[in-house]
Amino acid sequence: MSLIALLLTLPLAGAAIILLVRAVRVRDLLAFLTVVILVALSIAQYTGGMTVRFALPHSLHTIFMAADILLLLFFLWRGMHEESRPVALLALLQLLLYLYVSGTDPQAHPFDIEVGYISRIMLLVINIVGGIIILYALEYIESEEMERMKKNGFIALLFFFLSVMNLIVTTDNLEIFFLAFELTTLLSYLLIRYRGDELARANAIRALWMNQIGGVAILAAMIISVKSYHTLSFDALLTFGSSWGVAAIAVLIIAAFVKGASLPFEKWLLGAMVAPTPVSAILHSATMVKIAPYIILKLAPAFTPFLSHTVTLFGSFVFMTASVMALGRDYFKEILGLSTVALLGLMMAMAAIDATESVQIVLVLIVFHAISKALLFLQAGILEKSFHFKYLSDFEYLYERSPMSVWMIVIGFASLTLPPFGAFWGKFFSLELLISMISQSPLYILVLVFITLGSVFLTLLYFKVLTRVLSHSTGKTEKVAIPALFRYSSYALFGLLTVGILLMSGWNGVGVFELLLPALLIFVIPLLLRWQLRSSERVGEYRCGEKDEAEIGAYYFALPEAQVRRAHYAAAALIALVLLGGML
Amino acid sequence: MNTVWIILAPLIGGLLYGVERIVRARMQGRKGPPLLQPFYDMFKLLDKRPLLVNPAHVLLGIMHFITLWIAVGLIITGTNLLFVIFVHLLASIFLVASGFSVRSVYSHIGANRELLTMVAYEPLLILIAAGFYLKNGYFSIELIHEGEPLLGSLWMLFGALLLVIPIKLKKSPFDAAEAHQEIVGGVEVEYSGVYFEFLYMAKWLEYIFVYLLVILFAGNSVMMAIVLVSSVFLLVNLVDNATARVRIPHLIAITLGIGLTLSILNLIGVGYGL
Amino acid sequence: MDFSRYRKRSPWILHYNAGSCNGCDIEILAALSPRYDLERFGVLNSGNPKQSDIFLVTGPVTYRSRERLVELYNQMPEPKVVIALGSCTCTGGVFRGMYNVEDGIDRYIPVDVYIPGCAASPELIIDGVVQALDILEKKTKERENAKRLYSEPTTENGITDRSNSAQKIGTGGFSPEEMKPNSPERRENEED
Ligand code: SF4
Repeated sequence: MSLIALLLTLPLAGAAIILLVRAVRVRDLLAFLTVVILVALSIAQYTGGMTVRFALPHSLHTIFMAADILLLLFFLWRGMHEESRPVALLALLQLLLYLYVSGTDPQAHPFDIEVGYISRIMLLVINIVGGIIILYALEYIESEEMERMKKNGFIALLFFFLSVMNLIVTTDNLEIFFLAFELTTLLSYLLIRYRGDELARANAIRALWMNQIGGVAILAAMIISVKSYHTLSFDALLTFGSSWGVAAIAVLIIAAFVKGASLPFEKWLLGAMVAPTPVSAILHSATMVKIAPYIILKLAPAFTPFLSHTVTLFGSFVFMTASVMALGRDYFKEILGLSTVALLGLMMAMAAIDATESVQIVLVLIVFHAISKALLFLQAGILEKSFHFKYLSDFEYLYERSPMSVWMIVIGFASLTLPPFGAFWGKFFSLELLISMISQSPLYILVLVFITLGSVFLTLLYFKVLTRVLSHSTGKTEKVAIPALFRYSSYALFGLLTVGILLMSGWNGVGVFELLLPALLIFVIPLLLRWQLRSSERVGEYRCGEKDEAEIGAYYFALPEAQVRRAHYAAAALIALVLLGGML
Repeated sequence: MNTVWIILAPLIGGLLYGVERIVRARMQGRKGPPLLQPFYDMFKLLDKRPLLVNPAHVLLGIMHFITLWIAVGLIITGTNLLFVIFVHLLASIFLVASGFSVRSVYSHIGANRELLTMVAYEPLLILIAAGFYLKNGYFSIELIHEGEPLLGSLWMLFGALLLVIPIKLKKSPFDAAEAHQEIVGGVEVEYSGVYFEFLYMAKWLEYIFVYLLVILFAGNSVMMAIVLVSSVFLLVNLVDNATARVRIPHLIAITLGIGLTLSILNLIGVGYGL
Repeated sequence: MDFSRYRKRSPWILHYNAGSCNGCDIEILAALSPRYDLERFGVLNSGNPKQSDIFLVTGPVTYRSRERLVELYNQMPEPKVVIALGSCTCTGGVFRGMYNVEDGIDRYIPVDVYIPGCAASPELIIDGVVQALDILEKKTKERENAKRLYSEPTTENGITDRSNSAQKIGTGGFSPEEMKPNSPERRENEED
């Protein structure tokens, strides 16, 4: 219990102190210490291995309620101030619904906090990966042109985010869940508009109203739950299983789709690219979007077959479509973003499947996706800061200047698709699971096809980036130094990936051989590159004898606008189907 | 025993390639090269002065060969079929990465096409594995070899495999990835001498790989395996001689269109005992 | 192991048209066609200098094709042979003395076999290739061009010194190993 309490409060304390400190050195040291303690705490919590349950003191509930109302009023004010009708209307709607809910008097909760297996893994991901990203952000934010206060505020907000995320994955009370959900919305809003320019503000407002839809959905679920069962406990909701319970669950699924930036809502996550890169890193890997598979995973035991099938179909559809959509993009972070959307689709699809293996599969996907995406976003930040590369078409002579970044990007992408990395095993067992489920419903064949196609499209997508970074001629090196904190945070994530490979052994009968073999194959390359093959002479590339330099571009398979719209309609139709499944 | 086969695999592949060159020549009314021609080529390549563009390029090519060999070895030892398919994917990815690692126009075009052909055949391979799993309840190649021949119930998936083979072996009409004179061999263009040798041998291994997949359909019947391999061999070469190259978009449309339909129908059939 | 005898059994051809009238190119295609079946000797028209042994050039070398000719030649790994195919390739032929052509490719690259004939017949081409194979077998792996024997002139205080331009080769005959460390290419590579 004290561990959990520390996990929830320590980041807050860290954030508060960091806001006050003026010296950069001291701030960095404090942040580093906080991160180390958080990591240690989350590991301790994981190895403790028990399910922890406890209730929060009643006084806290009053504070939470006040916070909720303040928050919604803030949204309302932002909506009016920025003249955004959807934000204002949604805030107003939520305010009304919330007041209605708080007027009712549900049974007392037996416990507000419940930390089970899933939560423990989520805590690990949030604190370790999130912590590393914060360390990276210390260096990153120094190179921005801002006041000292604003820079410290940035770091403080990131710590606050960790705390909120820790809350969201540990709570079992819908009301607290709602508060944490809204807080992540608020934080993402603040972080996205951090640079304060026109585009940042517009994108932040869009993220705000889209995420508020999720808030409305949670409130609706709360109302249903309170009205029919007089409880706000997640666990209790899952056990009822009657038609109202299913309705509440269907509504909560919508909240997950919104947070996971699934297809009709993917714009908010892509818009988040205007923020400083650590924000994208933290949104995509450790926090925010990971709420989506987490919710589905939590709700899945109570799914009706209809819901399970539709969510799986929806997830796999998003997986395929988002991968194709990403192919036409040029902005590196946008490519990464859409691939996140796609992989979240996969996670949600797997989470919804009614099978015991699916929990483990989704957790593995969540963990390794977080690490790989963090690694990739850190590289995106490095490219931006050290080379001023943002678009794929800018990437020129990267290998010559910083082979380390190139290999980190390669490893980042490889770890999302190739054996022996965890994400690969996640996909591998997803396929196996789906194949074994075919005899239950022919729908799974369609899902299987979507997922295999999606995987290939993602490979195509990763290579689109690799085309630009891998190609290099012989000789001509002009090494560029990369700041130490950038390098070490990348190494740390790389280390996590490697350790992750070892952790995979034994899972579902994965043999050591099956892990070591591909690991050897992949890791041997950077090592062998030290061997310069001096005895071989270098020649130029074959260009039919021409002497001109070849310009190498990346390929684009842009989907026509109409197709994208059609995909959105299809996704929306599937969501409507989910809701319908809840009503029936 | 398995070890011997694994070590011999590239050599057998080379012989198969030699036979194929003769068969193709005979179909065109020519005499054709000697049977051991591929090995003569090999020895000659060993004798050339090594030239390279950059070390990463060469290394990735060598890794392609090694990984492919491992994939073949894994099939021979009879492990998990799905895993083998992914190791094979890893091999192809090394090849594509090597193609992209030089600033060479043809190499890039070739790698790009290679990648697109992967879009066409990779889903089919996975669905074929799915078919075996649905039928037997396991992916183990060893057990598949001990079981009954499955050609009867998986014949539509076999049809899908027939679409994959010309792509993998770079045969018309699906040889756009290599497209000999058109893009000067595609990914291979920047390799020379002893380094090219690895890619050349990898091609032989590719033969072994696809024909081992064909043999899977024959289960425990050796007769059937021989008949299947030889007829597929003749068929592929006949088609190679008789057709022209199709463009990549058509390649994808044809293989995915026909292949996916066949496999989905087959999976439904097997899954529901139709 | 000595692999040099296999050179003969697997000659891969790079065909380059340095401004010919296409007459000889058509004959090459004829020679490769099933009727003459060059493949039975293991010949392959590879079209890629990096994997070829025989450089089959047609045409008198127009001004525009000069760099390409040399570039392609340099991209072929040794041992290699060059065949000048057709009268115009050997001497300029019907184009001799024209304002825009060089008279024959041997002004730029060393030629091993000259095949005459304004449109050389397939039989002649096959004969030439077979002769080239004999030469190929005898060649060493070291560079054939004399460039290897030169050292770059040195420049000091704006004065160029080329007094030491020929490299000293070991007395006991041609020893490629001894040459290696001093050759200009070698030095360039090491500087990189
Ligand atoms: S030799 Fe005569 S036929 Fe041959 S290319 Fe020259 S001009 Fe044409």
